[in-house]
Amino acid sequence: MSILGGMAGKLGEGARTLVLAPVETGRDAVYTLRRIRAGEQSPRGPAKSLLATVGALALCLALLFPIYWILMAALSSTGGSIYSSGGLALVPANPTLKSFLWVVGDLIVPAYTVLLNIPGTELALAFHTPKLVLLDVSRYGIENPSAFKHFLWNSITVSVPTVLISMALVVPAAYALSRRQFILRRKVLFVYVLMTQVGGGLGIALLIGLYTVYVQFGINDNKLALSVYYAATAVPFNTWLLKTYMDGIPTSYEEAAIVDGAPTWRVVTEVILPLSAAGLATVFIFTFLTGWTEFVVAQTLLGTQNYTLPVGLYSLVSEYSIPWARFSAFALTFALPIMLVYLVAQRYIEGGLSFSGMEG
Amino acid sequence: MSAISTVGDRVADVPFLEKRDLSLLLVLPGLFVFAAFMLFPVLYLVGISFTNAAPANLFAGDGAFSVLTFGEATFVGLRNYVSVLTDPQFWNSFGITWLFVATSVALKLSLSITIALVVTSDRVRGKRLMRSLIVLPMGLPAIFTITVWRGIFSSAQFGLANQLLGSVGIEAIAWLSGRWTAFMAYNVTEAWLSYPFMVIITVSALQDVSEELHEAAKVDGAGYLSRFLHVTVPSIKRPVLFAAILTAAASFQQFLVPYVFNQGGPARANELIVVYGYREALSFSEYGRGAAISLIAVVFIGTFMWLNVKRGRLAEGVSEQ
Repeated sequence: MSILGGMAGKLGEGARTLVLAPVETGRDAVYTLRRIRAGEQSPRGPAKSLLATVGALALCLALLFPIYWILMAALSSTGGSIYSSGGLALVPANPTLKSFLWVVGDLIVPAYTVLLNIPGTELALAFHTPKLVLLDVSRYGIENPSAFKHFLWNSITVSVPTVLISMALVVPAAYALSRRQFILRRKVLFVYVLMTQVGGGLGIALLIGLYTVYVQFGINDNKLALSVYYAATAVPFNTWLLKTYMDGIPTSYEEAAIVDGAPTWRVVTEVILPLSAAGLATVFIFTFLTGWTEFVVAQTLLGTQNYTLPVGLYSLVSEYSIPWARFSAFALTFALPIMLVYLVAQRYIEGGLSFSGMEG
Repeated sequence: MSAISTVGDRVADVPFLEKRDLSLLLVLPGLFVFAAFMLFPVLYLVGISFTNAAPANLFAGDGAFSVLTFGEATFVGLRNYVSVLTDPQFWNSFGITWLFVATSVALKLSLSITIALVVTSDRVRGKRLMRSLIVLPMGLPAIFTITVWRGIFSSAQFGLANQLLGSVGIEAIAWLSGRWTAFMAYNVTEAWLSYPFMVIITVSALQDVSEELHEAAKVDGAGYLSRFLHVTVPSIKRPVLFAAILTAAASFQQFLVPYVFNQGGPARANELIVVYGYREALSFSEYGRGAAISLIAVVFIGTFMWLNVKRGRLAEGVSEQ
């Protein structure tokens, strides 16, 4: 809970700075303006600052424009364009959420009848649960909603095992690498660092081998087998990351616990793991995202029934004509949660990025 | 870095912590699973590359035993390697891959350094906010970003690139149907995909540049450009070089961009090496050739990374011990 609390605190802090920033800037500007009027300051400096800020802002907007553009395409009914007969239009003419409704589809919990036999009698109690209609998209004129929920379920059933398996592999290894001395320790570390740098391309090159073996064992269309693969590929990077986190925990804490007579397992569960909570959260997010966003291997191994969200997204594109509004809405629904997680975890991730021999 | 990696050594000095070799048992499961999914496919790939494997013969037998005998595929020695290395298609792919590495790294470096300089400039207000905004693309799934960029370069009415051209009165271009326009589209997309990573590293390097040196150079009458060249560049060289090496490796292994855009087209002209190996195996059912190509790519990228980790001392904390 403390991690969540900390994250919420940081988000709040971020939001506050975001809201207060314009106020501060405004105050600053008024102050500078007064000084210039009073002749206490030359207008050249502030003018330069203003120009530079406007330029930087323009650069930022240009860089983020693709995201804005895809959002507008999703909101327009036809997947329209920013350039119409009327010239450039930054907001679609008739914004609508229809495409998002198409993506989400019906949210209906069907009615169930539950029969409870009363022991020793012929009697039974029958319960009828009402039909719950949370969202019925046909009322908005949408006939064939997307298979988003189906893909979502597949993605969840791939990602959750991935997280569980990789955590089981990563956490003990990170602890041992951080806190123990044993033969081959340096060699293992070296291999792991090397492997963190050789990225996904290697996985694709090896895909031919993996695919053949999977087909011959008949597990190529198996979501659990895919999870195991993802967990395996996540091992080097995440072990290394968690190890560096654990390295930051002072050994004096453990010494204190040991002096108090705590056995090793209690030192681990009550000192090391709670103190590396932030690291564990990062590893959790990373391994989850591995299963959530990976495309190539999933597309090669899985059959249509087991498509995960990324593959489902791509299957919309590979058709000859692309329904842009629906595609955009699907893509955003898929990407938005990840973007939010990233925004929250940004500090950790940026901290983690400077992990590898940057100084020196 | 050294402070981090020597924690293990410091632990060794603490008398009451256990340090038996049994701790290796905690690492072995991860190592074993990783090896099973990385090492084994490599070895298997080596095996396949010496056979005439194709789906028809490779998947002929069934069960565990046929995995080891490569189904009913037969040993053909170095034939795959000979045919690959004498195939102009391979050399085209090899050449275009290196060209892509060169152009995309140059583009990524110049774009990222420019952005980093802008968002660390003293003149710009609201830098922190801008910084956390512009690295946002990093949090997006690659398949999302790349399909969006495919839409941007689409020649349909929807395509943003053509809309922007249209708004200044230039006729639409079929970006992905021309060899060099498609290549350019790959480059732009790759630059957009990886600028956040480089910006983060460059910004953190720029923040470490000593103010005093800048002040001293100013006093000596150095202009902005010469201060940049003689003060800034030397102090950010190492981190940026590090980022450039990683990003070059990423470019060499780029798969999704060409694959999603037009499968390395038009007409196989832009198949970067990883795409070439993949397509040769899985689209044209030439498993043996595909394996040989993939292995050649792995050897190249492996050598490149190994040299860099060794020479560039990327894993300093580790190799020091």
